[in-house]
Amino acid sequence: MAAVAVHQFAPCITCHAWSPDHSMIALCPNNNEVHIYRSSQDKWERVHVLQKHDQIVSGIDWSPRSNRIVTASHDRNSYVWNREGPEWVPTLVILRLNRAALCVQWSPRENKFAVGSGAKTVCICYYEQDNNWWVSKLIRKRHDSSVTSVAWHPNNILLATTSTDGKCRVFSTFIKGVDTRDSKAGSSSDSKFGEQIIQLDLSFSWAFGVKWSPSGNTLAYVGHNSMIYFVDDVGPSPLAQNVAFRDLPLRDVLFVSEKMVIGVGFDCNPMVFGADERGIWSFVRFLGERKSSFSGSKYGSQFSEAFGKFYGQSKTGVSNDGIDPSRSRGGIHENCINCIVSLGEEGSSRTLRFSTSGLDGRVVIWALENQEDLSEYL
Amino acid sequence: MASTLRLYLTCIRNTLEAALCLQNFPCQEVERHNKPEVELKTSPELLLNPILICRNESEKCLIETSINSLRISLKVKQADELENILTKKFLRFLSMRAEAFQVLRRKPIQGYDISFLITNYHCEEMQKQKLIDFIVQFMEDIDKEISELKMSVNTRGRLVATEFLKQFI
Repeated sequence: MAAVAVHQFAPCITCHAWSPDHSMIALCPNNNEVHIYRSSQDKWERVHVLQKHDQIVSGIDWSPRSNRIVTASHDRNSYVWNREGPEWVPTLVILRLNRAALCVQWSPRENKFAVGSGAKTVCICYYEQDNNWWVSKLIRKRHDSSVTSVAWHPNNILLATTSTDGKCRVFSTFIKGVDTRDSKAGSSSDSKFGEQIIQLDLSFSWAFGVKWSPSGNTLAYVGHNSMIYFVDDVGPSPLAQNVAFRDLPLRDVLFVSEKMVIGVGFDCNPMVFGADERGIWSFVRFLGERKSSFSGSKYGSQFSEAFGKFYGQSKTGVSNDGIDPSRSRGGIHENCINCIVSLGEEGSSRTLRFSTSGLDGRVVIWALENQEDLSEYL
Repeated sequence: MASTLRLYLTCIRNTLEAALCLQNFPCQEVERHNKPEVELKTSPELLLNPILICRNESEKCLIETSINSLRISLKVKQADELENILTKKFLRFLSMRAEAFQVLRRKPIQGYDISFLITNYHCEEMQKQKLIDFIVQFMEDIDKEISELKMSVNTRGRLVATEFLKQFI
């Protein structure tokens, strides 16, 4: 079985992030707080509650080397939390946003972070030592709709974004004074801040969940039309592949190696995509087992009784023998999975463990060590 | 007759399974607000194509989806004047008590008899399969209920007329 551990933390989880040693998890239980849990002998206890936001926290990222947490929320704010003794202390971030912040991610060198927002802009924030706060530079006028996901290239300069206008764009985020010009990096260092490197118009529906492969050579993102897009050689002449699958759309992806991608979404089951020797991507299989069960209890009585039984019916589930019983998606997660985080060592090119969290309030840890049929892709 | 109902309901069920992929999405127009985009309709890129499923001329179902909400409007079969009145009164009774149903809309869309509004919050609290079961069950029961009401009206009318006319015998 690929799922190693299942924990129920809350009725619903928006997003989660792991501490550098993977002993603590920070998650948002679908409200304005961030709860940090520590694992001790197979039990989880809540050690901290970070309360500063006014609305739901939409993104959390925990930097592995500098041990800082950045949170972004629908109330247009973002905070960077530093560990000072037993407490987490927030530092103000001047985002200059006038709509909700939707996603946040630390850059590989952890000197910057990117925030995607509903204001159709992306904010790149860096630390200003003199005033002890984080200031932002905005990438404006490029997106036609909300920015749903951001991902940093390993070179710390390129940033890929996806938006609800269906396009994926790659920008250069070179900031003078923060980034150093690398003489051998070539074209990416020559661009100025906010310059759009490419724009990918492959999806005719909303785009979510963009990620770079560990080497930075391949880009993957999903569209709401049940397709996943792989782009090689991101540059003046990219090579794009579309993979369509039969099931419900995905929400997020993760590269576990150069040739394997895990996608999670409305099917409540992680999907494995692999590339063969020629570099052609395809759907391999589902990771979890698929249960198909139907509740056979009789739905008796009058409609007026059902009127009163609405609560009971919708939560426990009754089905009439006459109509086709609903196919329960079953499996480990019971509701949509919306976040997937790698649990591997930082900087390595392949990860064997990752965790998923979903709207059912569960965090599931998956391990790929025992999956023999997938070892060729790792 | 029963077979077309089966097909109609299966089609609606499959469409709902695909359409009920909703997520929390804050409003792009107003800061700090979260509104059902299918009702607002200000950002066309956030709306998906509406689907109209017709069983015959008098029965149809309109499903409109957006990124965080879904609206289902039903038109129920009304064969004659009496059924017309009964449907209107019965569905109005239900719509007035929309709070108890949570997913019901207080006013039906123009041209339809009853409408449901399902948002991402409903999908978080309740299971998607159960929501779909509820909608399909509702559709099946509406027909049964209206015929039962019509029969009871006719029966009562007959009884009252018999009693009244007895005095003239």
